[in-house]
Amino acid sequence: MIELTMNGLVVKAEEGWSVLETAKFYGLAIPTLCHHEGLTEFGGCRLCLVEIGEPPRSKLVTSCTYPAEEGLVVRTDSNRVWSARRMMIELMLSTAPGSKVLQDLASRFGVTQVRFPVRNEECVLCGLCVRMCAEQMDGRAIGFQQRGHKRKISTPFDLRSAECRLCGGCIHICPACQLRCQGPNAETALCNACLSMEPTCLEHYDDLQCWMYDAGRCGTCVREKKSQRV
Amino acid sequence: MKQYRAHLLVCAGTGCVSCNSFKVKEALEKEIKKRRLQDEVQVIATGCNGFCERGPIVMVQPDGIFYQMLKVEDVPRLVEEHLLKGRPVKRLMYVPPAEDKPVPKMKDIEFFKHQRLVVLRNRGRIDPEKIDEYIAFDGYEALGKALTEMTPESILAEITASGLRGRGGAGFPTGKKWAACATQKRAPRYIICNGDEGDPGAFMDRSVLEADPHAVVEGMLLGARAIGAAKGFIYIRHEYPLAIKRIEIALGQARDYGLLGKDILGTGFDFDLEIVQGAGAFVSGEETALIASVSGEIAMPRQRPPYPARKGLWGQPTVINNVETWATVPNIIRRGAAWFSELGTDTSKGTKIFSLVGKINNTGLVEVPMGISLREIVYGIGGGIPGNRAFKAVQIGGPSGGCIPAKLLDLPVDYESLTAAGAMMGSGGMIVMDDKTCMVDLAKYFLNFLRDESCGKCVSCREGTQRMYEIVSKITDGQGTLEDIKLLEELAVAVKDASMCGLGTTAANPVLSTLRYFRPEYEKHVVEKQCPAMVCKEIVSAPCQYTCPIGQEASSYIGLIAKKDYEGAFKVIRRDNPLPSVCGRVCSRPCESVCRAGEIGEPIAIRGLKRFVLDWAREKGLDRPAKLPLTKTDKVAIVGAGPSGLAAGYELVKKGYPVRIFESLPVAGGMLRVTIPDHRLPKERLQDDLDYLVDCGLNIKTNMTLGKDFSLDDLFRQGYKAVYLATGAHKPLEMGVPGEEAEGVLQALEYLKEHHLGIPVELGARVVVIGGGNSAVDAARVAFRDKRVKKATILYRRTRREMPAYPEEVDQGIEEGVAIEYLTAPVRVRTQDGKVVGVECIRMKLGEKDASGRARPVPIPGSEFQVPADTLILAISERAYTPYLKESDGLTLSPEWGTIIVDQASMATTRPGVFAGGDVVSGPSSVVEAMAAGKSAARAIEAYLEGRPFERVAEVTRPSDYVEPVKLTEAEALNTKRVKMPHLPRGQRKSGHAEIELGFPKELALKEAKRCLRCELETRDAKKALGREQ
Repeated sequence: MIELTMNGLVVKAEEGWSVLETAKFYGLAIPTLCHHEGLTEFGGCRLCLVEIGEPPRSKLVTSCTYPAEEGLVVRTDSNRVWSARRMMIELMLSTAPGSKVLQDLASRFGVTQVRFPVRNEECVLCGLCVRMCAEQMDGRAIGFQQRGHKRKISTPFDLRSAECRLCGGCIHICPACQLRCQGPNAETALCNACLSMEPTCLEHYDDLQCWMYDAGRCGTCVREKKSQRV
Repeated sequence: MKQYRAHLLVCAGTGCVSCNSFKVKEALEKEIKKRRLQDEVQVIATGCNGFCERGPIVMVQPDGIFYQMLKVEDVPRLVEEHLLKGRPVKRLMYVPPAEDKPVPKMKDIEFFKHQRLVVLRNRGRIDPEKIDEYIAFDGYEALGKALTEMTPESILAEITASGLRGRGGAGFPTGKKWAACATQKRAPRYIICNGDEGDPGAFMDRSVLEADPHAVVEGMLLGARAIGAAKGFIYIRHEYPLAIKRIEIALGQARDYGLLGKDILGTGFDFDLEIVQGAGAFVSGEETALIASVSGEIAMPRQRPPYPARKGLWGQPTVINNVETWATVPNIIRRGAAWFSELGTDTSKGTKIFSLVGKINNTGLVEVPMGISLREIVYGIGGGIPGNRAFKAVQIGGPSGGCIPAKLLDLPVDYESLTAAGAMMGSGGMIVMDDKTCMVDLAKYFLNFLRDESCGKCVSCREGTQRMYEIVSKITDGQGTLEDIKLLEELAVAVKDASMCGLGTTAANPVLSTLRYFRPEYEKHVVEKQCPAMVCKEIVSAPCQYTCPIGQEASSYIGLIAKKDYEGAFKVIRRDNPLPSVCGRVCSRPCESVCRAGEIGEPIAIRGLKRFVLDWAREKGLDRPAKLPLTKTDKVAIVGAGPSGLAAGYELVKKGYPVRIFESLPVAGGMLRVTIPDHRLPKERLQDDLDYLVDCGLNIKTNMTLGKDFSLDDLFRQGYKAVYLATGAHKPLEMGVPGEEAEGVLQALEYLKEHHLGIPVELGARVVVIGGGNSAVDAARVAFRDKRVKKATILYRRTRREMPAYPEEVDQGIEEGVAIEYLTAPVRVRTQDGKVVGVECIRMKLGEKDASGRARPVPIPGSEFQVPADTLILAISERAYTPYLKESDGLTLSPEWGTIIVDQASMATTRPGVFAGGDVVSGPSSVVEAMAAGKSAARAIEAYLEGRPFERVAEVTRPSDYVEPVKLTEAEALNTKRVKMPHLPRGQRKSGHAEIELGFPKELALKEAKRCLRCELETRDAKKALGREQ
């Protein structure tokens, strides 16, 4: 067993566990996007960042790819972590504003503005589709092309793929393809309707439309009908 | 071995090769053979010498003579003079900038003197393609020692004790990295040399590989022995073909000598090296990406841990070090850790190679001990900034590094100091920048590089660099806001924190460090839409228009001249300039000093072209305006009919206001009329411009003196709603020497005024003028035209270089026979019977620079001498003078300068309704600045009269229309020489006051106009307007 410290708690991890797995085991909720249980870790979305080490020499690393090490000191929700997380969400929203997953993350972490010109590519290059196709569906029909700001996911030479069996796995797993919650502010890049919960969506629907209910969060704002602006 | 009496070492580094050094070598060999010297003189191609600015370079040994910038044509002379006659050729030697004597020997040249060669010790003295030469200079001695006298552990201990830190950028202790690998139990282990060197402007590793490849090979052999590796890889980027070739040859020769391969030197140690070529990616220099690339995969970084020392190439323990690090190792083993740790500082041992590039006189490769100051590198070794421009910053560490500004020039160069200052040692690229570099544009350049080179995995790096680039582009386009700067900072911190590899975590450095030291420059781009370095094209458009205080669209009217549309050109000039005939003759031409054609040749003769158009229009009778309509009732009074008052008046008349100008002299024009001589500005031409203004409806009343004939209160009583004071600065400064009050001592402005008003002035045969500005030169030349004057002398206390007068005026004065004594200052005026008979002067020498940036003159004791004079004219300077103001007028003056204090933005004085501008506010300035003040004042007064606050709206510079450029012939496009202004023949000048500049004839004007680069057509707006969108 590997002993490490998380948020002040001394925790034990099995050999080969990542920091993310360890945190999950202990019920510490770290947000993820490009992580998926059945696929290899990628570490691209940068949402699962945690702060390791002691300031001033501490740094942020992705918990999905960082192995649990003996004596490691981890903080899952420090100031630095939240600032970075928020910026990642804002950056991803600017290229995939139609994603419910991202909209929910925005509300959960208090991202209230998208200050970059929106380029609706409906893709955040998380690579889930590539890994799904390669690892789960044994297709290897799609992959990354180019690098830097020109990077994209496509078939080799953008040609119709003979390998693709049209299984739809890539679409199924894509976080950007999921429909945005149908809250009243659906026109703009950022919804945030649930942040100013009255709750407005309950005026239109029978059930809460967003993650808050799904993930079992306390939903105090709903019960007390309070408006929350972060 | 053959003995030669001389060796010619021809530099064959890529820099010199691209300047034809191989051809020079061939020519040398041919010439030497022709002269039958081939048995006495040997020609060798060596690796990079380092002084890349001066290639092709040839060193002559054993003399140590350094020849530079050689051409094939120079070779016969060189061989004949130096090798046959023993006379080194001075013309081919290095002459330091701003000096005239050549420095023959390399060891005496500043660039080389201060360097300390450890890694580069063999540069320029061995043929890198001959292993014997490497061996001759102690090559492979360390390997021999290590394999026979030392153990792997002791080699490791020696490297650790030396304090060597990785030279690739991060500065990780090399011994520690090696130990981490050596202690791994698993085998096989690998070592890798990182020769990817992707930083723009860095060529240290390339030079080491080209000049001394065996140093790297030996270093890797020693490392392999210490770590226990049997195979190594040298990763060289594909873009370094010469380096690859030299390493290939070196490996082959080392194998032949049994220094590489199996059973090296018979000790049972096996090790071999393989070259792997990288291609086209900056990120492949990152260690985990490079390792992936070596194994045949795509060069993408991965998360660490596990570190390569534990799990690297193919999952095996791997040590990867930079070229420079490997090349340092043999020196440490050969000479000992103690010797190495003597060099450098406590935490940064040894030496470091820097590529010194950018705005620097001595571009090249330098190796210096750690801890040397930046100032010594930039000024001592680098020779300072070309053109004597001001140092602005030095970028260290490439796209991952940051800038160090001038105030930190004394920073020692070591890992910790640079990081604390926000920069980074990096691989050692040093880009020097002067005041013509825009720091925002610099950040944009690096961000553009990084957004291309990011591998694209991390959202923070991929999106972050792209978004930072977008924001900085917005700022350089003049569309940025202060919110953008805040967002930029926030984003930069997130990119730094959240990214996985070194590319991402340092990608924000150019932004963060330029913001740290040059935030005001960013803010100027955003708030004022200005680029102080005049680089950002979308803001500046054409520098001539950008810099002109009255916004003349010079490149547009020059474009019209080139199209022979002289009327169109005239309209463009008239639109913004109320005194164009005047400006076309006497303007101080800030436009020409920033003209881009002047950067590659001579600036366009903008002033001369303006005059050409006005002369043409006058002949055609075009300058006859109709009276402008009166649409407002608020009367405005202007005091002073100089350029500022006239400009203000014209603007107000254009807006429909009733305006009256009150002028104290009997004539209008201010200093244009009574100070500037006729031979520069004929009265008739000034009158042309005045007539135009009067025809438009500008009312000028002369012989009305404020404070004597009327007061400020009178003006308001008479119904004027606003007053603009533009009375100028013409109170002469006193010299402050005894005897100044004597008869025959005149003030230049007073003398010129009386002369131009036709008032007789007493002048003696010998006229002496004291001063160095335009007034001094004007006074001397006007006086010398007087029949009574036989000799005119100007005394100036500094040298010709510091004289503020227009250079062409000084040249013409000298041609006319005016004598000028430089470095001369008056001590006292000698008088007889109350009349001046001479000036006692003292010689000066230039000392330290004063606040104005000019060297302060210092008297040389005991150097007094006499200058006889019948008339002494003082032209030191002027200041603003407002004797017409009483305390009850309610204005505030500056006690130091005598100028009227106004609010900077609205030009309002402390009395409501009274505005002031021009020299009376700024102190002595130029005609065009005074006119600009007048134009602003008119807008401020309009705002005041309409009861709204005066807001200056910041806008990017654009012309009113885009003029289609003319097609040029090849010859016309390559022409960089300025046409010469025809002048009155010398014989005819002094006999009268006729105008000296005669104006361009049509052919010359056309020729010059076609030279204009039409900078305003470079913006996106321009391209769209001309239908040339990209």
